[in-house]
Amino acid sequence: MIATSASAQVFTREDSLQAGLVRSTQQTVLSGYGQAKVQYDLRYRTGEANLTRNVLFIGHKFSRRVYFFSELELENAGVSSTGGFKGEISMEQLFLKFNINRDIYLTAGLFIPRIGIINENHLPTTFNGNDRTFVETFIIPATWRELGIGLYGNSRRIPGLNYSFAVLNGLNSAGFKNGTGIADGRFEGSQATASNIAITGALLYYYRNFRLQASGYFGGTAGLVKRVADSLQLKSGAFGTPLGLVEANAQYHKNGLAIKALAVSAHLPDAFRVNRAYANNTPSSMMGAYAEAGYNILKIWSDGTTKNLTLFLRYEWMDLNRTLPSNGIINPTLRKTYVVTGITFQPTQGVMVKLDYVMRQTGERNPELVVTPFPSALPYYTSNGFVNLGFGYSF
Amino acid sequence: MINRRTFIKSSCVACASGMLFSELMSSCAPALPTFKTAIEGKSISVPVTYFAASNVAIVRDNMAEYDILVVKKSEEQFDAIYMRCSHRENPLTATPTGLHCSAHGSSFDLNGQVTKEPATAPLQKFPTEFDRTNGTISINIQSLKL
Repeated sequence: MIATSASAQVFTREDSLQAGLVRSTQQTVLSGYGQAKVQYDLRYRTGEANLTRNVLFIGHKFSRRVYFFSELELENAGVSSTGGFKGEISMEQLFLKFNINRDIYLTAGLFIPRIGIINENHLPTTFNGNDRTFVETFIIPATWRELGIGLYGNSRRIPGLNYSFAVLNGLNSAGFKNGTGIADGRFEGSQATASNIAITGALLYYYRNFRLQASGYFGGTAGLVKRVADSLQLKSGAFGTPLGLVEANAQYHKNGLAIKALAVSAHLPDAFRVNRAYANNTPSSMMGAYAEAGYNILKIWSDGTTKNLTLFLRYEWMDLNRTLPSNGIINPTLRKTYVVTGITFQPTQGVMVKLDYVMRQTGERNPELVVTPFPSALPYYTSNGFVNLGFGYSF
Repeated sequence: MINRRTFIKSSCVACASGMLFSELMSSCAPALPTFKTAIEGKSISVPVTYFAASNVAIVRDNMAEYDILVVKKSEEQFDAIYMRCSHRENPLTATPTGLHCSAHGSSFDLNGQVTKEPATAPLQKFPTEFDRTNGTISINIQSLKL
């Protein structure tokens, strides 16, 4: 939808354009996306219903060359200091976009770099299943946004080739947690240390019905005052105590058939130092991969249909402690596989109803890591199943 | 911390890899023909010779905010598609088989219809006329706000 700033009334895009109320050089856009689900845990025989997220997008076009984009996200329905809500409210993106020419633009602010599939394309109407892929939750922590400057472009010489390069603030290794990878080491725009930085780049190529992408990330994780870093025996500086991540993915779409695959590997060569400083059992490397195939069965009856009833199957594998430093403790529960299968029904464009089954398998618990043993705590099952029913929308 | 030697070495490897990748890719698909013009009035005339080796050609003008992709449907029938994503208005990447938005993953076929969300609306199209005598395609851009 578009609203003119002068009238402060909201019109549909079509209404505004037809009434001539929108100047071609300036306009404000409101839109959003969100998802909700109910999940049943087959092992513990318990259910949970949750308004997973609602995101409000506000964009503004200042001129033909300068745009503003923002996404304000509310997770889990509410935020409360008294513990009534377990949600989070945060800026998912907020950046200015400067068009250099028809093929190249710059972004500055809080934005999501091109790493993986879900990170940039995280709208619930773009993926099967109620949950984002697990590899792109635990290893590539989608949605991974940081403050910085990015350059995006497409090659005129090579049709279909896009590239991007960005300089961002680094991570905070003090926040790394055993089991969630690097996710809790992100700043996400909130008082980030700028003395350590990260660089990231990606090549994206469209060829016939394929979308092929490779990306890399290299950045420091200890943005501390040198004296503090020295006392913790961490390497400080722009790329001190570095994290490196490489990823490649491929997607194929044709006649209702959709196939995608992704592999990622993350390395933290100074994990020993991080563990010595923060005792957070950080691994030296993590790896993961997944492959998914889906087919829109409505294409069998009507090739030109815009509706969608996709059956899909996905297999995911990850090892969040692929290698550990000598002061790390192995946690076999972080070797996981997921089999996800289900149905995605799209009654109209922008809306999806999803039903899926997730089977998760992990290694056994390491008794050395069990703080509260059974029967005080619930038993741990290496194999568990979940049934999810939910919806997603984007407009 | 990364030392200077390693940084220079890594940078050189990255540049060489990029150049090699670029060369490999350029051998996969030739550049799309691009017709550069200056809009005068409410239409653009594109010589049909631009479609000698390709079924698509890009029309670029400095006044318009986005390029226009002209698609040859038959010997005398052409479509003109505005290369602006209907989702977040990002410029689209054109290939001989479709249009793609690198920002959020939307894809469109050569009729401008959505083939992959998050975009939900088709792309803007302009009426075209083929002038057999002059061998030109006339694109009516009256609906385009300049």
